Amino acid sequence: MRIRARPIAPGRATGTALVHPQPFSFVGGVDPRTGAVLDRGAPAPGLSLAGRVFAFPHGKGSTVGSYVLYGLGRRGVGPAAIVNSRAEAIVAVGAVLAGVPMVDRVDVGGIRSEDQITVDGDRGVVELPEVRARAVVSAVLRNRGRILIVRRSEAVGSFQGRWSAVSGYIEGREDPRDRAVREVREETGLRRLVLRATGQPVLARTDATVYVVHPFLFDVPSRAVRLDWENIDHAWVRPEDLGRYDTVPRLEDVIGSVLPSTASTPTPSPRRPRKTIRKTVSPG
Amino acid sequence: MRLLLTVARLSDADRLVPITSAHVSGASYKMIGDPGLEFLEDFARDARVRVPTTVNPLGTDLAQWRELGVPETFATKQRRIASAYETMGARPTYSCTPYDELPRPAFGEHLAWAESNAVCFANSVLGARTNREGGPSALAAAIVGATPDYGLHRDEGRQPTVIVDVHTRPRGIDFSLLGLVAGERAGDGLPYFRGFRGTEADLKWLGAALASSGSCAMFHLAGITPEARRARLQGLKVLSITRADLQETERRYSDGTDADLIAFGSPQLSAAELRDVATLLGRTPPRIPVWVFTSRAVREANPDSVAAIERHGGRVLADTCLEVTMLEHRFGTVATPSGKGAYYLPSLCHQKVILADVRDLLERYA
Repeated sequence: MRIRARPIAPGRATGTALVHPQPFSFVGGVDPRTGAVLDRGAPAPGLSLAGRVFAFPHGKGSTVGSYVLYGLGRRGVGPAAIVNSRAEAIVAVGAVLAGVPMVDRVDVGGIRSEDQITVDGDRGVVELPEVRARAVVSAVLRNRGRILIVRRSEAVGSFQGRWSAVSGYIEGREDPRDRAVREVREETGLRRLVLRATGQPVLARTDATVYVVHPFLFDVPSRAVRLDWENIDHAWVRPEDLGRYDTVPRLEDVIGSVLPSTASTPTPSPRRPRKTIRKTVSPG
Repeated sequence: MRLLLTVARLSDADRLVPITSAHVSGASYKMIGDPGLEFLEDFARDARVRVPTTVNPLGTDLAQWRELGVPETFATKQRRIASAYETMGARPTYSCTPYDELPRPAFGEHLAWAESNAVCFANSVLGARTNREGGPSALAAAIVGATPDYGLHRDEGRQPTVIVDVHTRPRGIDFSLLGLVAGERAGDGLPYFRGFRGTEADLKWLGAALASSGSCAMFHLAGITPEARRARLQGLKVLSITRADLQETERRYSDGTDADLIAFGSPQLSAAELRDVATLLGRTPPRIPVWVFTSRAVREANPDSVAAIERHGGRVLADTCLEVTMLEHRFGTVATPSGKGAYYLPSLCHQKVILADVRDLLERYA
């Protein structure tokens, strides 16, 4: 499959992916002499970054990280390329200094360690030749602070019995938004949707298939849902209660990508450890 | 140039803006280590700065590192970092208070400054314009003479995001405490303070603490700072800070019980602040070591204050500052009136901290 990304640092490289599911600091996270990953949160600590396509959500920590990445490149033990979900200046600057191709705006949850992967930092493309992509839409419906989840019936092709947002495959070249509106009408009977947000695609991975989920948030004027054959149950839930349901993979990330973030809540203590994002892929 | 374009792309800036000066961080060997040294020496082979460029404090005072017990290898590598910057054409100021170096940036000038307290002071008090640059991006901007035009370079990026009503009259250390608590609550926002007044020196300590516990790059103070009048306040969330908040903050940042060093600085003291400390030490000479951090220029211009501090057993250190300096090899608990120092000493210097006002500290350790 081929993923469109944002070019950050120029160049093109192919290699075996190494996925680190948490934000990564090059200071303390890697041995600057050998390129071995030291971070204890790593799926396989001790593996070397050398020659690998290193995928992680985003950088964190000291700005000295830029220099560490530069040093790795200079010693020939740096990564072949870097893929981030959201690039920040420390890693981006380091990649430029080190001459490591880099892209961002790719959900690294869709990549697994050991995938073969090509990164084009000039054109902004990531290719995973061994992985098949299925494009889907996911419509998050909101009414007075609650969102709709539906339980998938035994008649659908995947994830039977699990809770999900209203969703469906994108056919051919159709516009994802049109597909989302159509799915809402078919699966819930709800009308008069107001589009509130479009999220960056979330990649839900199952073995050799990646579901490229295009998230949409709609406000709906009513909670009167009329289900069709695709679902057997529905519930209007508070977003924070989603954890209680057996959901399709990455539903919380899909919803999080379109709901206004709660990140503006103040941090009470300066010494509280940084909140880490949830683990989203299994170790390869 | 490529590096600046990358930063520009990350921040959706569509052009670069010319700058009148740069201030680079990442000069302490303790902070940047061998990777930084290696990068700077490589870079210094052909890169030269195009605009006046000052440099942040080093990891020790190179004039007295032996007396401070700093290992020779550390001093040697520290000297190599300084030489690399000097080869590139930077001024060897090694100060975190570039706003006290001449010429001072004028209102509306665009800068590329790293060092969070200097950024906060330049934006808030001087009305100059700079984002919080990182060490490498400030250096790249110095070499190119321009920086990506986004954030605080643009009028809309200088508007407040939160109102902070202060229901007490801050004095002395209160400005550091106010900065710490406001930074925790404002995060990366841009606070608009109301309800108190302060001198330029007070706002230096407020901004330094604010930029440590939060990632604030600017604040407004109603009736005082130059751009407060342009601020649009409609619809902003209002936070309140009381005397009780300041007292709680002072307690929360004090985890030490018995200090073995009193430290003044972070940011480095101005000439007036150095004179005040000299006078206070004369009144209540302390029984534990006192380190006073200032810039080289201030130390050279004030030999009387320096002599007075040394007479009472203190040391006046230049070219370095509290949390980037080597002190962990000798001390375990530092007493300081600096909010920024109190914030960083535990993580960067493995110290316990006693955060208290200058006079209280000197009385306690007299």
